[in-house]
Parts: sequence; C-alpha cells; structure tokens
Amino acid sequence: MATPVIKYVGRTTDFKGKTLWEIVGSLKNLGVGRIITRSVFERYPEATFMKIVKVETCPDEERRRVRVWVEKTFRGKKQPHITEIYRTSYKPDYRLIPKNEEAKLLASVKTVHDKSDVILPNRIEMPVLMKKFIVKDHEKKGLAPLEEFVMPLSYNKSPSRMQRIAVGDEKPTIEFTMGLGKPISPALYEGVPLN
Amino acid sequence: MFSQNAILKRTIPIFVQTASAHRKPRWLPVAKSKIYRIPKRPVISEDEKKELLRLHNNYRTQMRAIKRFYFDELVKEMASKQSATSEMSQRLEAEEWLRCVELNDKWNAQVALDREERRKQEVAAMEEYTLARMEAKDKELKARIEKASEKIREEKELSKSFITPETLDAAIDHAIANPTDYNFAIDLKGNKYMGRDTPTVPPKEEKVAAAASN
Repeated sequence: MATPVIKYVGRTTDFKGKTLWEIVGSLKNLGVGRIITRSVFERYPEATFMKIVKVETCPDEERRRVRVWVEKTFRGKKQPHITEIYRTSYKPDYRLIPKNEEAKLLASVKTVHDKSDVILPNRIEMPVLMKKFIVKDHEKKGLAPLEEFVMPLSYNKSPSRMQRIAVGDEKPTIEFTMGLGKPISPALYEGVPLN
Repeated sequence: MFSQNAILKRTIPIFVQTASAHRKPRWLPVAKSKIYRIPKRPVISEDEKKELLRLHNNYRTQMRAIKRFYFDELVKEMASKQSATSEMSQRLEAEEWLRCVELNDKWNAQVALDREERRKQEVAAMEEYTLARMEAKDKELKARIEKASEKIREEKELSKSFITPETLDAAIDHAIANPTDYNFAIDLKGNKYMGRDTPTVPPKEEKVAAAASN
C-alpha cells in the first residue's frame, strides 16, 4: 500500500494530535489507567499530564466527544481533585504517552514545586487619575480622606495557580503597578522613552 | 471616467456621490469568489507575543482591582444607608404615621362638611320637585273634573229636548204634521230638485238610442 498523502484543507490550527475519543476508543478498557497529555501544555517546561480514571461514552449525537475523568498534573503539581474532560474532549490536541515513558514522566513530578516561593501581592496602588478623583469624591461626599491610595487585588480562582497569594501584610515577591511595567522584550521599545 | 473640464462646465449633469463602504450585507452568504479563500494567519514574533501577553495580563489585573474597589465601595455605601434607615426608621415611621392620620382626619372633616351641604341641597331639590309634581297632578285633576262637569251640564241641557213616554204622542203628532223629505238633489246654482216630483227613470227613446250606440 502506498503511503497515504495527507492534504490539509482549510485554516491552520495550533492543535496537534488526536481527539480524546480517537485515543480512548482504540484502547483496552477505554484507556483507564493510561496517561495522556495536550500539546498546548507543552509550552511549559514542567511536566503536565493527565491520568485517566474513568471513561463514559456519549450518545450518537455527540460522537466527537467523550466524558473522561482524569487525575491532572499541571506544571509538575498534582491537583487534589479529579477533573472531568467533556467540553474540550473533541479538540484534536491530545496525545497518548507510551507505557515505557510513563515511569519517567511520573518520576519528574516533584513534591515541592519550583514556584511555591513566589508570592503574589494582594494590593495594588491606584492609578494617578483615580487618586485625584477619589480625593475630590470624598470631599464632595463629606467622607474622611484616604491615607493610603491602594486597592485590594483579587485573583481568579484556579486550581492551576502555581504562585501563592500574600496573606495580610506579607511581603510579596512580585509587585504589580499601574503603568507599562518592565518590558520583557526591550527590543520592541527601541527609541521609546520608558519611565 | 469623466474629464475634470466636463464636470466643471456642467456638460454632464452633476452626480451625487454617497459615501458607502463597499461591503456585502450581513445576510448574504460568502461571495462565490471568496468561498475557498483562506485568510493568512498573522505571524507574531515570539518577543512580541510574550510582550503582548504580559501587557494584557497587566491590564486585566489592573482593571480587576479597580472594578473590585468600586464594587466594594458601592456595597459599603448601600450597607451604611440601610443601617442608617434601620436605626431611625422606627421614629421616622411613627412620625410619618401621625402626620398621615392628622392629614386624613382633616380631609375627612372637610369631606363630611361638603357632604352635609350637598345633602341639604339634594333634599331641597327633591322637595321642590315633589311639590311641583303634586301641584301639576292637582291641576290636571281639577281640569278633568271641570271638563266632566261641563259635559254633564251640556247633557242636562240636551235632555230637555228628549222624547219621554209622556211627550211621545205629541212628538209623533209633530212628526206626522211636519214630514221631512231628504230625497232631493242640488245643482250648482243651489236649486233644489225634490226627488218625489222628478222622474228617476230617463225617457224611453233615449234609452233605445243609448242601446243602439253600444
């Protein structure tokens, strides 16, 4: 048989791999106990993979999808709860880890994460205009003027968060400011005065 | 297309140019010539991508902080307003209630006064109406009695000429003495032709002639 010629039609994509059903459907016991990963997670240096715990097939109308529960390890940190994959199961982005590589991957997970010493701030200074506005606003309302022009900073809840958020008056290791900040690629700002 | 001169000299009627984007209406499908066109993906360098990601993350963090600050402030304001009302609400509500009752009583008194006045007027009007009606009825009754008595008087007047058993013989005698013959005709001049003297049947020859003509 001649090698099949693959001809791509339509827009290109960043995904690389198969859909979850393509992987799981061709495995013994629907792949329970096997390890899969997504190509979008390969951007991180740490190991990211998912161990299949349970699989449920879907009705005929949802033939591209499959309901899978996984134990997720994100950026080298195992998450405490089991995650369900259903909405994203159709994405052709999954890859099965061969059995001979599983041990190596599991061994790469550390008990203490690299970024656990990073502390995110829980407050941020107000923008310049807002400070002036608030001074006037408080005057108008007859309220006591603010001593400190800082506001609390909230973060979206995510089990994938690596860094710790500062508690109370803890000193954060990163400081967020209102403004442009320090550019990662200074080459893009050539000839632009930054302050 | 047209020369500038032609436009300036108005050899061509002036045309109105409308500013419209050359776009297909949204409800039309993809043009046939564009069906298989695949837009090129923008190529963003690694440096730029990282920088954009950092800037966007920064922006979102800042905006989240501002939004949360103002939301908290709003909540605080509402709470303070509510607590203030709960403290003073008892006293204020009682005052308001008293004020309302007083006002209501005042209104009620005014309405009662108005009602009395109105009732009086109504009773007076009704009395007037009833009296008028009674008067009219009396008048009508009186008129009827008058009419009836008039009639009786007339009848009594007439009864004088009635034929009674006592006057019967006299009446018969009178009738026989003065016979009345209504069997007559009157011509245009008022001449009376008594019926008993004039022959009712036309002459014989005339009758024959009439039969012949038929």
